[in-house]
Amino acid sequence: MFPFVCRGIMRAAIHTRRISRGTLPGRLLSSCDGVPAGLADADTIFALSSGHGRCGVAVVRVSGPASATALRCMAGLTRSSLPPPRKALLRCITDAKGKEVLDRGLVLWFPAPHSFTGEDSVEFHIHGGTAVITAVLQALGSVPGMRPAEAGEFTRRAFQAGKLGLTEVEGLGDLIHAETEAQRRQALRQMSGDLGRLYQNWSHKLKRCLAHVEAFIDFSEDELIEDGVLNQVDTSVCHLQAEMERHLKDERKGERLRSGVQVVIAGATNAGKSSLLNTLCQRPAAIVSPMAGTTRDIVETALDIGGFPVLLSDTAGLRDSPDVVEREGVRRARERVEQADLTLVVVDCAHLLTDAQQAVDVLQTHLMCVLSSQEQPETDRCLLVLNKSDLLPECERQKLDREMRRVSGLPPVCLISCHTNDGLQDFLTVLHSSVKTLCGDPLSGAPTLTQARHRAHLQQCVAALAQYKRHRDTDLALAAEGVRLALTSLGRITGRVAAEEILDIIFKDFCIGK
Amino acid sequence: MAASMKSCSLVNTFRGCEQSASHMLTKKRPLPWSVLSLLSRRAAHLARQQYDVIVVGGGHAGTEAAAAAARVGAETLLVTQKIQTIGALSCNPSLGGVGKGQLVKEVDALDGLCGRAGDWAGIHFTILNRKKGPAVWGPRAQLDRQRYREFIQSELLSTPRLTVLEGSVEELLVTEPNPEEPGHHRVTGIRLANRSQPITASSVVLTTGTFLSGALFMGQTMSPGGRFGDAPSSAGLSHTLRERLGLRTGRLRTGTPPRIVKDSVDLCQAELHLPDTHPTPFSFLNKHTRCKPEEQLPCHLTTTTPGVERVVKESLHLNCHIQQDTKGPRYCPSIESRVLRFPGRSHQVWLEPEGLTSDLLYPQGLSMTMPPDMQLRLIREIPALRRAEIHTPGYGVQYDFVCPTQLSPALQVKNTQGLFLAGQINGTTGYEEAAAQGLWAGVNAAHWALSLPPVALSRTESYIGVLIDDLVCRGVTEPYRMFTSRAEFRTSLRPDNADLRLTLKGSEEVGCVSSLRYREAVRVRDSLQDALAALHALTLSTNKWRNKLPGLQMSENKNTLVTAGELLQYNHVSFEMLASVFPESLSPYAEFSQRLKIEAVYKPYCDMQKKEIERIQREENMSLPQDLDYFSLPVSLSQEVREILDRVRPSTLGSATRLQGITPAAVVNLLRYVHATNAGLKGRTHTNQPERKEERDEERCARNASLPQ
Repeated sequence: MFPFVCRGIMRAAIHTRRISRGTLPGRLLSSCDGVPAGLADADTIFALSSGHGRCGVAVVRVSGPASATALRCMAGLTRSSLPPPRKALLRCITDAKGKEVLDRGLVLWFPAPHSFTGEDSVEFHIHGGTAVITAVLQALGSVPGMRPAEAGEFTRRAFQAGKLGLTEVEGLGDLIHAETEAQRRQALRQMSGDLGRLYQNWSHKLKRCLAHVEAFIDFSEDELIEDGVLNQVDTSVCHLQAEMERHLKDERKGERLRSGVQVVIAGATNAGKSSLLNTLCQRPAAIVSPMAGTTRDIVETALDIGGFPVLLSDTAGLRDSPDVVEREGVRRARERVEQADLTLVVVDCAHLLTDAQQAVDVLQTHLMCVLSSQEQPETDRCLLVLNKSDLLPECERQKLDREMRRVSGLPPVCLISCHTNDGLQDFLTVLHSSVKTLCGDPLSGAPTLTQARHRAHLQQCVAALAQYKRHRDTDLALAAEGVRLALTSLGRITGRVAAEEILDIIFKDFCIGK
Repeated sequence: MAASMKSCSLVNTFRGCEQSASHMLTKKRPLPWSVLSLLSRRAAHLARQQYDVIVVGGGHAGTEAAAAAARVGAETLLVTQKIQTIGALSCNPSLGGVGKGQLVKEVDALDGLCGRAGDWAGIHFTILNRKKGPAVWGPRAQLDRQRYREFIQSELLSTPRLTVLEGSVEELLVTEPNPEEPGHHRVTGIRLANRSQPITASSVVLTTGTFLSGALFMGQTMSPGGRFGDAPSSAGLSHTLRERLGLRTGRLRTGTPPRIVKDSVDLCQAELHLPDTHPTPFSFLNKHTRCKPEEQLPCHLTTTTPGVERVVKESLHLNCHIQQDTKGPRYCPSIESRVLRFPGRSHQVWLEPEGLTSDLLYPQGLSMTMPPDMQLRLIREIPALRRAEIHTPGYGVQYDFVCPTQLSPALQVKNTQGLFLAGQINGTTGYEEAAAQGLWAGVNAAHWALSLPPVALSRTESYIGVLIDDLVCRGVTEPYRMFTSRAEFRTSLRPDNADLRLTLKGSEEVGCVSSLRYREAVRVRDSLQDALAALHALTLSTNKWRNKLPGLQMSENKNTLVTAGELLQYNHVSFEMLASVFPESLSPYAEFSQRLKIEAVYKPYCDMQKKEIERIQREENMSLPQDLDYFSLPVSLSQEVREILDRVRPSTLGSATRLQGITPAAVVNLLRYVHATNAGLKGRTHTNQPERKEERDEERCARNASLPQ
């Protein structure tokens, strides 16, 4: 998806440049004054712009006023000597202090306004290994004034600078939607782990701290709010700050993020989901039996599909069951489907009637049911696998195959048999191409990028807590501002905190009577 | 000649006028002249039966609305049930506080009444949160009820273009919906009880307080009304709002404590709380308060006992207000809900004076609705009140409010042109919240009537903006009260700089500020700028500073250059200290020493917020048309987003961004739409404006020159 976007942007840039001396940009430029969500600010942003998966070269893109500084200190260039604009230069790429060499690669310098965002931009073309990418992203994060880009931010900046033509603008909303969706799924995955619990716990503690400081500010003159409340906040803030600093220092402590495209097998009971898993990983990873409801928990296995890392999960069959264990299994299955990059919906083809139109209807209803836990069921992120084709008579099988190739309104359909491996090769081709598309999206399952973002926000959070301490005894309003900033930074990882939420805590914890 | 045309209600007006006139001896303006000029103006207008703006209700919202509309230049009529109760403090005898004090300062900066009235009527001034940083200081005063009423009444009766009329509004007159724009009405005026002729106006501001279908509760009795001792308002108004205009309403409750006879209270048993030794006035125009420092009265603090909890529990079955399932405020609960929610604790009770000459005390924190005999039993469980007598028992009120998401940021009802709402009718609680909305509704009502464009205040520039934005975007689920924690940009929105934030805008864009106040604000702004420039021009090495200011603690060991402005950011450095070193360049600014200190300390933090503020303001400048059909809008939006937008109808892109459930993608798609439309809109609003505007400017200049101050 992203290469397409880049192409789109380049086309847009050329397009705009061509007509920029004409009439259009006046309106586009003025229109950019109100672009939402942190666009007009002077922050410099960076992100991994190339895809994830087997790639020799990774491209890290930087845009904003501090780009030149970043380039100078990381490519070992002196104050005056920036490379010639838009010419590749082979350099040793170091950390921000210029001490440790991280990689040897190409750097490109695009001074404003001749860059795709219209701002000063830099590109680092480095080796595609995870360690190198992580190191470069972390080094960038330590340059003052730099932060990881939010979803769609490069594109929005390009829009702001009038670098996108009207037609490209049209696609911008969809692009941002796609990127925020990818981030949302990823955040969901991480938030369900230990790391997520840790961040949520911090966020919860910070909320209470803020609520108690705010209560002291807004109510202590009239109400019984003891000074002790602030001392508790002091202790909490100290602890939190120390904990976060420890966390930032200790690299090993971070949870190993699940890398790779998340592919989830889902469907009704006894459709052959576990058989599909076993067939794909060529070993009996999951127990298979003719009894419905054999699989209760998630069975995970890492695969390499055409060179792309895939994490395949088998889930419990979806049905209402009186069994407590099975119900929990179904809940987990639905949760997994919600977090999936790609869902393989497995159907027992014997359940399909011979009438094609009816089969389509049945499949559509079934899809909606399986994908119902997704916020907006996306059929383009799923494949339909019709299993047990060996149980159909040959003529029926061929008829069904023909019908399924003809119909529209359904995701790609594959007719296979896990028993005889019939149709498996075709299915693998379809799966490969889907995974390849997903891996072109740099956001799907790129843990380094998320780690860098988390790091930046946590560092801001720690700095903001220092502001609380600095002003605690002289100006409580400024001290509270520190806690508020800290919560905002952490909220960028765990979700936004609204003013009403703080008031709710205040009224729960204190009796405010005036 | 004029006298022969007087109607029945007009006679009442004059009686009220004379009554208040007798209290106005200390006002600067000679009275007979003012009454005479009012008399002729009134009569002439009543004959016409036509005004630019009609304000219904004479509480905190209504008085500010009427005064503001008249200041903007609209011929204004204030209709109230009783002229005597204009400016009455129905509940607590105090003004300001944390968060609320900011609102008072802002209303004053826009030339409203309540700040100056507070300075006139205050008898106990304190700055709350004095130790917690200037951004959250809460100027507050106990008031003399009588003096407050006097001030407001005399001020209104001497405001040019403002007529006050006693009467009860029977009906709100609105046009039938335009067949081309279904559901869209226009207000045309009001009809009073006992009067067949309607009074017409382009704008009507409703500030009915607790009177909209109001019901009073005490013990097990319930009677219709909005305030004890006043007649209930007619059902007609409520009917028009709900049935004809189809507005969604909700029900809220509030209450007031019993008033206690001062002599019956043993104040020795309560903790004495003295006011500030130097009272700080609310108003930017006042250098001191009317009450002299030594004339101020103290407050007393006492606490509840387990006996109080017992009485509450015993009386629960006799208390129908508490049993009702209406939303009451979480932060101003009755003593009943306090002990029920937090049992086993003692709760604070403030004993506040009601006035210099009043025989009563106001027990803040003892709002209750139980039967009067139980009320007496309850208060006597408190040691200081063991022999206390109740003068008037406490009671509860339940009333209708109009869900404020149906209003525009100008506080105009979205589906009815010219109809504005302010105060408790919008679901807020508190005098200051009401006054702030009243002023803004009055300004916009006048703008509408005079064909001027509507004006909006951003939440980035004022607490009034925060208040209105919260109301119209989020609505209310309980009575809304201002807290400083609601303002994201608290460090910039301080009580000390309300004049810089609002007075200049109020004069240049809004037209509700007198020339006198405007000149003063310009002087202050220029002086502060000059003083800050002077401070930053004074540079010495750290060693030299240490020599000149012995005892100066600076962490820098190195001998670097530091400006006086930077030095002022240090805790223990005051402007006076610096002025003593550089008397020539700094002493001219001695009157601003406190403000300069605050500016110096807060500047770095305000600069940090500036970027975010500018972003929000840009988004707020992009308006979304109110009649937009979101369901057929040809942009890519999900059905869910369309439904949210259709329900809330945000007026700007900024408020759309803050709605729950609106995705970034939806905002970008809307953004594209806004551009196309805004270009069109601009063309439309400008067509009929220019000539009118010039005319108004001239008139405003003339008016400002003649305004009394």
